[in-house]
Amino acid sequence: MDINLLLKATATLYFLATASFVFHVLVRNTASRLPTMVLLAGFVLHTAALSVHFLQEGYPAVTQFYEAITFKSWLIVALYLVIQIKYRLTVLGAIVAPVVTLMTLAAFAFDAGSGELPPGLKTYWLPVHVTLAFLGNAVFALAFAVSLIYLLQERGLKHKKMSALLKRIPSLEALDRLNYMLLVWGFPLMTLGILTGSLWAGVYWGDYWTWDPRQISSGIAWLFYGVLLHGRITAGLRGKKAAILTMFGFCVVLGYFLWGETLFPSRHGGRFE
Amino acid sequence: MNHRSAPIEVRESVAFENGYVRDALGRLSGYPSVQESVVLSTCNRVEVVAAVADVQTACQDMKVFLDEQRAERGAFILDGHLYTYRGAEAVRHLFRVAASLDSMVVGEPQILGQLKEFYDVARQAGTVGTLLHRLFHRSFFVAKRVRTETGIASRAVSVSSVALDLAKRIFDSFDNKTVMLIGAGKMGDLMARQLQRNGVKSLMVTNRTFERAVTLAERMHGSPILFEDFPRYLKMADLVIGCTGSPEILIDAEAVERVLRERKQQAMFFIDIGDRRNFDSAINDIDNAYLYNIDDLKDVAEENLQERSNEAEKAEEIILQEVERFGRWVSSLDRVPTIAALRARFDEIRRLELARSLSGNLKDLSSEQRQALDAMTAAMINKMLHVPISHLKKEPSDDDDEETLYLAALTKLFGLEGK
Repeated sequence: MDINLLLKATATLYFLATASFVFHVLVRNTASRLPTMVLLAGFVLHTAALSVHFLQEGYPAVTQFYEAITFKSWLIVALYLVIQIKYRLTVLGAIVAPVVTLMTLAAFAFDAGSGELPPGLKTYWLPVHVTLAFLGNAVFALAFAVSLIYLLQERGLKHKKMSALLKRIPSLEALDRLNYMLLVWGFPLMTLGILTGSLWAGVYWGDYWTWDPRQISSGIAWLFYGVLLHGRITAGLRGKKAAILTMFGFCVVLGYFLWGETLFPSRHGGRFE
Repeated sequence: MNHRSAPIEVRESVAFENGYVRDALGRLSGYPSVQESVVLSTCNRVEVVAAVADVQTACQDMKVFLDEQRAERGAFILDGHLYTYRGAEAVRHLFRVAASLDSMVVGEPQILGQLKEFYDVARQAGTVGTLLHRLFHRSFFVAKRVRTETGIASRAVSVSSVALDLAKRIFDSFDNKTVMLIGAGKMGDLMARQLQRNGVKSLMVTNRTFERAVTLAERMHGSPILFEDFPRYLKMADLVIGCTGSPEILIDAEAVERVLRERKQQAMFFIDIGDRRNFDSAINDIDNAYLYNIDDLKDVAEENLQERSNEAEKAEEIILQEVERFGRWVSSLDRVPTIAALRARFDEIRRLELARSLSGNLKDLSSEQRQALDAMTAAMINKMLHVPISHLKKEPSDDDDEETLYLAALTKLFGLEGK
């Protein structure tokens, strides 16, 4: 089956889901299930596309920049769907849907075709390390969106604003708890992502920590989230401050992912010798 | 008449007390022009809904009926305070009343319950027939539709329900929350009770005179606290209601900052619900602390009321649709006699012809054969009428004109008039 065709269909469905979210959540302000259903349909196609890639190539679609983007958007949608089942946070979908739509579309812009994989990458380390690291990223991406919603609700309350949308958004308490849960899950995933990467580097390059730019940036983000988690657990860091810090942490991760490769060439990306 | 057409004294002079409604319905059905009737009497309206044979006489009769009622009380002249709706307009009016569009506070939910009660009384009194039965059930349905499809009732318009809505945006659940009520003002009392109804289990009550706090706490199943002690207990409170009635700042921003540190920044909601301020307005600038005073709450309530009237426009559209649908049902009632007349006409012909044949050419037939012939002709008629009748019985479609045309054609073609 043609992966590109599947991905195009996925992007189309994500786009339709976005339109539907905008219409139902922002314009009509109803708790319709339709947008989530459309997103789910897109997710099914997305899953199919990634499975086909895995079956054809024998490794997950993560080695190219564009592949990494599609894979991450897939993880984000998966996580959103899980959260949606548990928390009915349709507003979150209104943020997630346009983002994943752009991500799947961006993947086409960068489409370079999957070349032959360098021998160093043909190991089981690749799927394990990349999945863990990306999963951590996806969790933090959602934490970013949840924090954004928290700030929206908080601002509304402080400025004594009332709207049907704000009334439908979960309470500050629920949003803060969800945000905390995401941090609790995201941090160990990120830790494992860094650990597996480091072990892999140790096995193949004989050096666990090579001060590779990716390692440095991940290390900074890891420290940041670690301090945040510690603050939340012990120092009563919560609410607005925690939300802002969560968003900032993700900006570090995202910033490196987008521009880091070009500014600081690393062994991640193409130059894997 | 309602709150717009008549001042309260006039409304009161014709209002029907609960026990008296049955009696009134009895008197109403005494008028030959009134076939079915329901009396609706709340503090904002007195209305008689009736199915009548002749609108002119019925209107006069109903005026006499209301005048009699009035005559027993006071001397207000009802003319100019009454309104009368007929046909589709009457249906629309009842739907609007049920959907709370005609209420003083648009969207208030009580009217539907009242409507149901008065309908039940009329039903028990036996003054409700097919038409009003359908009409009232339809109006309940319309009210529900308006409620779910528009935001007309979703916005709080009273101060305490606005505060409750706000609290719901801060806290996920109330059953693990603690409320502190400072002062014995009526609004504070009301607010605390509303929170209790919504799941709050733990309530602290404090007042300058401790005895007052004790009685209040006893009544509300809370625990009384000495007034001097309340700052020490503040850290346990998630929601703090201030309503002392005296203009003194009891809690300032520094105190709140300290308390928040002690409770590890768990959010606090301060509701300054008395007419005089008890909480420092700077509290709202502190992270994780939210302060609303009575004016803020009133502003939100006002805004919501405005929003409700916007939603009311959507509701009016729904009501128009439903009035039309009801109208179709009423016109489908016309068909019942037509169907019966059609059957009767065919059967009459059949019997006539059968009798003629059986006493003429076919008089030698045995009784079994006669019976068989009777059954056969009856079956023939049934088969022939099956398609046209099932077409007539069908739920009326949107194309009303077509239906009316068929009815008229049948009536004319088979000479059913006057049957």
